[in-house]
Amino acid sequence: MRIRDKKDLVSAFAIGAFGLFVIYEASGLPYLSEFGPGPGFLPLWLGIGLFVFALLLVLVNLLGSASMAEKEPQSWTVIGRALGVWFGLIVAIALLPWLGFGLSFALLTTFLILVLEGRPPLTAVSAAVALSLGFHLVFALALGVPLPSGPWGF
Amino acid sequence: MRPMNSYLLGWLAVLIGWSFIQPVSVAAFQPTKPVEAVVHTGPGGGSDILARAIADLLQKENLIPQRLQVVNKSGGGSAVAMAYLAEKKGETHTIGFFTGVWVTNPLTRAEAKVTIKDLTPIVRLVLEPAVVAVKADSPYKNMREFVEAAKKNPGQLKQSGGSVTGRDNLVRLVVQKATGAKWVFVSFPSGGERIANLLGGHVQMMVIEPQEAGEHIRAGNMRVIAALTEKRLPAFPDVPTLNEQGIDVPVIPQARGVLAPPGVPKDVVQYWEGVFDRFSKTAGWKQYLEKNQFEDGYLKGPGLNKFFDELTIQMREVLKEAGAKVVR
Amino acid sequence: MEALGNLILGFSVALTPVNLFWCFVGVALGTVVGVLPGLGPAATIAMLLPLTFKMNPATAIIMLAGIFYGARYGGSTTSILLNVPGESSSVATCLDGYQMARQGRAGPALGIAAISSFVAGTVGVLGLMLLAPPVARFALRFGPPEYFALMALGLTMVVFLAGKSMIKALLAMLFGIWLAGVGIDLFTAESRFTFGQVELLDGIDFIVVIIGIFAIGEVLVNIESRGGGELFKVPKGLRNLLPTLQDLKDCRFALFNGSVVGFLIGVLPGAGATIASFIAYGIEKAFSRHPEKFGTGVVEGVAAPEGANNADAGGALVPLLTLGIPGGNTTAIMLAGLLLWGFKPGPLLIQEHPELFWGLVASMYIGNVMLLILNLPLVPLFAQILRLPYYVLYPFILGVSIVGVYSVGQSLFDVWLLGFFGLLGYFMRKLDFPAAPLTLGLVLGDAIERALRQSLMMSQGQLSILITRPLSGTMLLLAAIILLMPLANKVRSWRMKAVEQEI
Repeated sequence: MRIRDKKDLVSAFAIGAFGLFVIYEASGLPYLSEFGPGPGFLPLWLGIGLFVFALLLVLVNLLGSASMAEKEPQSWTVIGRALGVWFGLIVAIALLPWLGFGLSFALLTTFLILVLEGRPPLTAVSAAVALSLGFHLVFALALGVPLPSGPWGF
Repeated sequence: MRPMNSYLLGWLAVLIGWSFIQPVSVAAFQPTKPVEAVVHTGPGGGSDILARAIADLLQKENLIPQRLQVVNKSGGGSAVAMAYLAEKKGETHTIGFFTGVWVTNPLTRAEAKVTIKDLTPIVRLVLEPAVVAVKADSPYKNMREFVEAAKKNPGQLKQSGGSVTGRDNLVRLVVQKATGAKWVFVSFPSGGERIANLLGGHVQMMVIEPQEAGEHIRAGNMRVIAALTEKRLPAFPDVPTLNEQGIDVPVIPQARGVLAPPGVPKDVVQYWEGVFDRFSKTAGWKQYLEKNQFEDGYLKGPGLNKFFDELTIQMREVLKEAGAKVVR
Repeated sequence: MEALGNLILGFSVALTPVNLFWCFVGVALGTVVGVLPGLGPAATIAMLLPLTFKMNPATAIIMLAGIFYGARYGGSTTSILLNVPGESSSVATCLDGYQMARQGRAGPALGIAAISSFVAGTVGVLGLMLLAPPVARFALRFGPPEYFALMALGLTMVVFLAGKSMIKALLAMLFGIWLAGVGIDLFTAESRFTFGQVELLDGIDFIVVIIGIFAIGEVLVNIESRGGGELFKVPKGLRNLLPTLQDLKDCRFALFNGSVVGFLIGVLPGAGATIASFIAYGIEKAFSRHPEKFGTGVVEGVAAPEGANNADAGGALVPLLTLGIPGGNTTAIMLAGLLLWGFKPGPLLIQEHPELFWGLVASMYIGNVMLLILNLPLVPLFAQILRLPYYVLYPFILGVSIVGVYSVGQSLFDVWLLGFFGLLGYFMRKLDFPAAPLTLGLVLGDAIERALRQSLMMSQGQLSILITRPLSGTMLLLAAIILLMPLANKVRSWRMKAVEQEI
């Protein structure tokens, strides 16, 4: 059995599982209400649709022609970089209520430039500070847009 | 000597006693920075507009030394706004603008954990009346005719309105119960859509606030067939109330007013009561009430608490009969 | 001819120095607001309302309207340069606009966006001026069944957004529709998929999802390659920075398409610029001689949606000014403004306050010209953003995303959602799931479910109401035809192959 695209199988399974979850939750909601479909109506059908199409995706992959043979193998280091950045972002978001936007963002920028791009620390920190100040000036002061602030007000 | 001593002692006692019963005239509470005014709608919503108008009037009349900053905390009806206020326990520079939704929302929503009793009521300012409106060329000249038609054709006539737990549907439910008529309720999230559907003939009637209806009536597109109030509205002297038309139902009020977070000290409450006391007497406020066709619903103190209690009970009843899931 | 007289009255109002100044302030501010993802014209107008109390009402509404339609111009900039939609109505612009930028044609893309915005925006104002009352009356005929049919037509646009895998596009769309359903059900007040979180009661904000998927997703994908200093080539020389005559010729139909679709859909209260931009894109692709090139950087793919979202602004003002019915969030706030200044928007507004209506109309013409003049020279300037070393650009995008999302509701929960959708966007790109259908589903999901249930409420459960009413029946027929098209094509190519093999 030729597998056309392993990635698609993985995503199909994930979506299929999600579809089942939606069906489960939706069956807990009233299907019909006083007039017409209830709150459970559309989610139920969405869940069914998701599951069915996920199944189709699996089938297409298993039965289809292997015309898309040349797919470069995924490099895990490359994915690692992207996920690393994502973790950095999450940490920065978590720090927002403690340190406020100014500091958290500066930290995130420093992390990005330093660790991921391998630039010298001075560049990293100065760019971080400059960007952070810039945001503060443009958004908080000039435009009056609220920024998440920590205990020291910025 | 002895009578003189006891005489002096007596006066001393009176003086000391007197100083105790005098309120300690420490500097009374005054806001020292901008005051947050929390509303549960987004910008442009009913509460938002009212809060901004009141903030403006307070400034004009110099009733508070700092300005009122309207903060929009919309979400889950009033759930997000109420949760926000509950978190600001004891905060003296935050107030909230409530409406009827603040009472009914926690009754039907399990996630809305903060109820109106958890917050500190300050004053009720407005009672917003409502009317029943139909398209101008509609065959129904009054509410009685509409109800009769609905009885003859159950489920054929349609009403446009907002959420099923909102006032428009609650009015429909109590009238249906009192008269035995049945008609359909179609929910539309925005007022614009409700009016558009009425004018387009897709629904036959709607419950609407008089000032919203005003323009359409003036243009000749809409007609009012009943006033949902105790007495007739000054702007519509020829429109009878539901009770006058023989439909015996309680009036479901839409109240608006001010409250504060829980745990706010007494002198702060008294300060705000004082401010709104003076505010409610200003000419600017009276003009605003008239222009928007609001009823002056000024009420504070124990009367206000009683109002909330009674409203909660009334709403719980009506909602249960509506078949809504009442969780509190 | 009466219109001409009124127009002259309008220009006499609009051309006063005060009004010209505030018109400029409005459109400039609107452009800035449109460029920044997250901060929308609705919130900006609400913030500025108190300021307007001190102004003359005509001036105030000129400025606020300027912000409204100015934002439509700005939204295209980040869409084209960074694949970050500045507004929900700019998502369709990302599809071909960003691809054009990758091919070094950022300048022409921005330029054509500005030009089609101008042309369609002006057509929108013309429509407002000449057709307002009859179009408004026509719009009243749109009840829930018609809205359902329109939304269904919008969803069939997925056929045009599919790319390689139709199944994946459909899956993305279904997921988008599900996302739209998170929150409180309007009809029964039941909460769906809120996982007990109070913040989810009102659903997930659209902006959070698209900034997460587009902006953050894009950054994450690009960061995989530790590349050189610049993002993509920025061509030098002014000639390469503006659309060529050939480009303009190619866009003839797109301009017409965008203007008409945008205006008509804008008139319907509740249907907005986003739907208009997707439908215009779909129509453009359907009638194109080279549909397979869409999505790779075709200039009409930018012109059509951009035109639509500008003509929509003119359309949205029709119900507001003729009936006093706001068409969407932003117009609702403008209505609030009108009420606060003591006007009563409704059918009599135009007759009783002609200087307000016609002054506004005239200033919109002027505003569109101002925006063209503002935006075209800025094209080379904006294109230079691409020159920034990407280790500065990416943190900048991340920062702008956080700020944009936070500005919507000051909610940290939203920022967390942003992180979640960013990861989702990344995985979608890696696994080849197209993001545009998800957006389509998200925008239309809520509306189409509501319309269906409202229709069934009206008809006591009879589905036939959708087909028996002429307007909705026609649109549904069209939708069915569009859906079956790919199938018909497949059958045709299959038959052709069979014929070939026999020979």
